[in-house]
Amino acid sequence: MNAEKNKQGLQGGEKKGKAGAPSPKILVFACRWCGGIGAGRAGWKRMDLPVSFRVIPVECAALVEPDAIFRALASGIDGVAVLGCHIGGCRYNEANHAALKRLELVKVLLDTAGIGGRRLLLAFGTAHEDHQFAEVIRNFHEFIGKEPSLKPWLGAGEDIFLRREE
Amino acid sequence: MMTISHKSMEEIRIKARELLEKKDADGVLALRRGEEAVVAPHVFREPGEIGRLVTEPKWPLAKTAMRILQSSPRDFRLAVVVRGCDDRALVELAKRNQVTEENIRFIGLACTEEQAGRCLCERPYPRTIHGGKPQPGVHFLQDERVSSLLEGDPAERMARWAAILRRCIKCYGCRNACPICVCVPCKLEDDVWVEKGSIPAEMLVFHLIRAFHLSDACVACGACQEACPVSIPVMALQFAMRQALKDRYGYEPGLDGARKSPVLKNFLEEPETGKDYPAWITHGGTGHE
Repeated sequence: MNAEKNKQGLQGGEKKGKAGAPSPKILVFACRWCGGIGAGRAGWKRMDLPVSFRVIPVECAALVEPDAIFRALASGIDGVAVLGCHIGGCRYNEANHAALKRLELVKVLLDTAGIGGRRLLLAFGTAHEDHQFAEVIRNFHEFIGKEPSLKPWLGAGEDIFLRREE
Repeated sequence: MMTISHKSMEEIRIKARELLEKKDADGVLALRRGEEAVVAPHVFREPGEIGRLVTEPKWPLAKTAMRILQSSPRDFRLAVVVRGCDDRALVELAKRNQVTEENIRFIGLACTEEQAGRCLCERPYPRTIHGGKPQPGVHFLQDERVSSLLEGDPAERMARWAAILRRCIKCYGCRNACPICVCVPCKLEDDVWVEKGSIPAEMLVFHLIRAFHLSDACVACGACQEACPVSIPVMALQFAMRQALKDRYGYEPGLDGARKSPVLKNFLEEPETGKDYPAWITHGGTGHE
C-alpha cells in the first residue's frame, strides 16, 4: 500500500492534490553528521516514507535559524522538522544543546501565537538510526495532516487599504 | 498620590544635583519641563538647571542614553534617571557591547503601583533606588488584557492574533522604540525575510521574527506597544517566552550583567531545572557513543 502511495507521489504532487486531500508539506533540516545521513540511509534502504517531506542538509542543527522556520511556515510549509545529533554527540562543542534550547523557545512563541508548537519537530538521532528517522517522519506526517492549513491566516493577506475603499 | 510622586521627584533632583556638584557625572539625562510645559529628554550639565527636572510621564530613556554615549567622547560619564525597565535595558545593552556600564551613573526611580499595573510590570523598580519606594509587581496573567489574548485553543488564538496583526501598517515603530533592537542591518528590512512593500506585514515573518529576536532580551518595558499607532499588544507575544526562561533556567533579562542568556550556552553550563538528562552528558566533551 505504501509503495502505491509512493508511486502516486512520484507522479507529481499537483495531480494528487487535485484528486484527493492535499498532502501536507514538511520541511526537514537535517544536520550532515547524523540526521542527514540517517535520512539518506532511510531512502537508500527503501523504507516506507511519506512523500510530503523535503530535506535540506545543514552543517549543524544549531545553524538552523529560528527565522528560517518562521519563513518556511509563512511560505506555505505546514510543518518543520529539525534533526540533529544526540544530545552529547554534537561535533561542534555541544552546539545542539543551544539549538534545542532555542528551538524550544520557538515552540513557546508558536504556541502563543496559536500556530502550535507541535508544527516544529525536534529530533535527535545518530547516523545509523534510519529506522528512527522513518518513524519520526511518518508520525509527523500523520500529525500535520490532521492540523488545519495555515493558509487563511498567513501571507501578506488582503490589502487593508483596498478593503477600506470598498 | 500626587505627593508621593512629588517626593520621589525631589529625591531624584537631590541625587542629580549631588552628582553634578561632586563632578561624579558630566551630565544627567532626564526629562525637563521646558516652556509651555513641554516635557522632553535633556542632558543637564549645570546643577542650577536641576530645578526643571521632572520624572513624569514614563519615558524610556535607555536608547536615548545609548545614542548619547555612543556619540560622546569615551570618558564621558552620563548619569541617567532610570526606571526598572531602563535599568534592565541598559544592562542588556552593556551585554551587547553598546554601552559600557562604567560610564553610566544610575539614578534609580521606582514606579508607583498604579504605573506598574498599567505597564504590567513584574519588577517596577531598578537595582538601586534613589527616589520612590519599591512596589510589588504585577504578573501578566493577572491582567485581563493579556490573559484574554492568550486563552483559548490554538485555532481560536491564531484567528485572534491574525485579526489583530492585520491592523499592522508596518511602520517599524515597535522595532525603533525597542531599547534592545540595535542590529544593523536589521533582518526586518531584508527582502529575504520580509517582503518589501506589502502591507500589512506578514504575521509570521515580521511579528514573530521580531518577537523571537527579543525572546531572551526583552525587559518588558512596553515601549513597543506604546509606540504602536494601531495599538497592537505586541508585548503579549513576549510574556510566555519570558516566563519559559524564568521557569526553565531561572533567568530574567537585565538583572545581572555578568550572566549571558542561557540559550547561548549548553546544558552543562546552564542546566534546565526539572529535567533529567542522561548522566553521561555531565562528563562534558564530545562524548560520542
